[in-house]
Amino acid sequence: MLTRDDEENEGTARITTRAVVIGLLAPTIATVVAYPIAPTRPEISIALFMLAVVIAAVAGGLWSGLIAGILASTLRPVVLSAPDLRFAFDDVEDVATGVVFLSVALVVGLLVGQASEDRARASRRERQARFLGTLSTTLHTGEVPDRVLDEFAEILMEPFALSKVEIEATLDGTDLRALARSNGDIPGGPRTTVRLLAGDVPIGTMIAERPVGGRPFSRDDQLLLEAAARQATAALDRARLDARARIAQIDAETNQLRAAMFSSVTHDLRTPLASIKAGVTSLLDAGVQHDPEQERELLTTILEETDRLNRLVGNLLDLARIRAGALTPTRQPTSMGEIVEVVLARMRPRLPDHVVSAQLPGDDLDVEVDPVQLDQVLTNLLENAGRHAPKGTEIEVAVAWVRGAVQVRVSDHGPGIPLEERDRVFEAFYRGSSIPETPGSGLGLAIAKAVIVAHGGRIWIEDAPERGCVVAFEIPVDEVVA
Amino acid sequence: MNRVLVVDDEPQIRRALRTSLEAHGYEVQTVGTGEEAVVGAAEVAPELMLLDLGLPDLDGTEVIRRVRGFTELPIIVLSVRDGQHDKVAALDAGADDYVTKPFAMEELLARARAAMRRAQPGEPVAPTMRFGRLEVDVARRLVTLDDEPLRLTPTEYQLLEAFVTNPGKLLTHQWLLRRVWGQGYGTETTYLRTYVRALRKKLGDDAQAPELIVTEPGVGYRWVAEGPEAGAGS
Repeated sequence: MLTRDDEENEGTARITTRAVVIGLLAPTIATVVAYPIAPTRPEISIALFMLAVVIAAVAGGLWSGLIAGILASTLRPVVLSAPDLRFAFDDVEDVATGVVFLSVALVVGLLVGQASEDRARASRRERQARFLGTLSTTLHTGEVPDRVLDEFAEILMEPFALSKVEIEATLDGTDLRALARSNGDIPGGPRTTVRLLAGDVPIGTMIAERPVGGRPFSRDDQLLLEAAARQATAALDRARLDARARIAQIDAETNQLRAAMFSSVTHDLRTPLASIKAGVTSLLDAGVQHDPEQERELLTTILEETDRLNRLVGNLLDLARIRAGALTPTRQPTSMGEIVEVVLARMRPRLPDHVVSAQLPGDDLDVEVDPVQLDQVLTNLLENAGRHAPKGTEIEVAVAWVRGAVQVRVSDHGPGIPLEERDRVFEAFYRGSSIPETPGSGLGLAIAKAVIVAHGGRIWIEDAPERGCVVAFEIPVDEVVA
Repeated sequence: MNRVLVVDDEPQIRRALRTSLEAHGYEVQTVGTGEEAVVGAAEVAPELMLLDLGLPDLDGTEVIRRVRGFTELPIIVLSVRDGQHDKVAALDAGADDYVTKPFAMEELLARARAAMRRAQPGEPVAPTMRFGRLEVDVARRLVTLDDEPLRLTPTEYQLLEAFVTNPGKLLTHQWLLRRVWGQGYGTETTYLRTYVRALRKKLGDDAQAPELIVTEPGVGYRWVAEGPEAGAGS
């Protein structure tokens, strides 16, 4: 508890059983000790009574001191008027001694009470400072503003013995809300409201509530809650700045990507166009006589470059569709095995330098997918493998059923992809760093990823058992058609 | 002389098609709108229509529906790559085939020849058809592979018959389901796939290098085996 000490501190100024016992005990002991020596050394016995009063005040506080003072001033004459007394009983002297005893008790008691209160306050301050310190480190974890407030409300609950914390704030035009509630407590007890201030500007309020029967909020509670609220607004501010910094970073990356995209697209579009135009103008040139073989070569170039341009435009259109959020799969019950077969039938002639094999599962279940989009994913993955794997090596497509999903793996024996690039290869226009000038557009994997994600699946790069690269994807099949 | 009606709103495509088709001995008429296409189909009475689906006035599927109202002339649809839905709709509306833009001229010409050959009237379906090692006797419902009788279930046989009597034609899922299973069917592609797989297995056709049945994902199947007529025709 951070503030409950208040009650104990106030207790030192009240009469408690402990104070009465100490107040009665100290002069009694003094009487017992002083009795034998009183006749010979009366001044020592007076000093003993004085000591008893001081001890009582130190140990028990103000009231112990006063009780001890009264008792001591009545006992002293009794002790001194024992047999063999040399001094006559003197009313004036007794009253004077009583006044001195009481004054000493009062001064010492007040001083002691003050000191112990100071001590208690110091330790309470220390605990509160520690709480605020913990609060600031807990809240400074780079969380988003929403989370900061939720966490803050949660942190306050136990130290303040609250049943409910409700926070409402407006930050950068966004309404934030947090609510923490303890289980089992009956709400509707004492409550207090604390304003959240950013500098001097109020940005919201916090309502703290204790359960029914809980103790009311003291001034200390209130002050501490306000200090905590200041910590929370500071944390909110940091979170907001962090978020802005993140956005700025994303913007920078987007700009970089855009620049890369323009240079890439410009290059990729112009190159085939240049070949086509060169070939056609050469054929149209009336002043040149081409032999049939030259003519055929020029025309073949034009045909190949047209195909290349067509593929690139198709990829760019897909990318535009992804960016526009228009890549919605038209799902229909489809056999993944059938798609693999169709793609292999079409791709084998285009990958004459590689051995392309397939591993299909025995049970041919249907999956709800867009056959055209999945066809394209596999085509892209095979084209990629064909581009990177050396001639004569094997490319394998494997389909398997794994825990409610269909998994497809395209493995090659090319150079593989370094660990640090495995996420980046799925970004548009990213080309592997190890191969500086690859003929791909850098779009194949980005499109594949977009399609798989649109199907609720995921795609990743795996280590090949030996050398090479495995691109794997899986699509959940909770929608298996029986 | 075969008359071809080319329907496309792009003048460059019309010119390219006219030049290429005329070089192959076809007589070519070109129009740029759907309305003209419907009128042209009636007045020109072509033996083949090449129809672009993206016309400015009428939807390509609507053109097919109107043309089918008065003639069974073969229609080959020219469509862009992503119009999968349009393709299926056009085929289900009565188009005979589709070719994806950009296309190679030889592919278009092959499809055109196959479509016109199928449409040739008066020539009865030969009772016995041979496709390499496979022989299908549709009159007696007998199938032999390497001169050995092949046992097919009734459904497998009906599927095979649908294929061999429509060689080269792209048969949509819906068309095959209705033809083999009956009018109430059309969306049960899983049945169809299972039977095609079984049929391929019995016929010894490899789906990864098909010589008989080619899969068009999301659309249907095509019987590509060269029959005796096809061999003589080109």
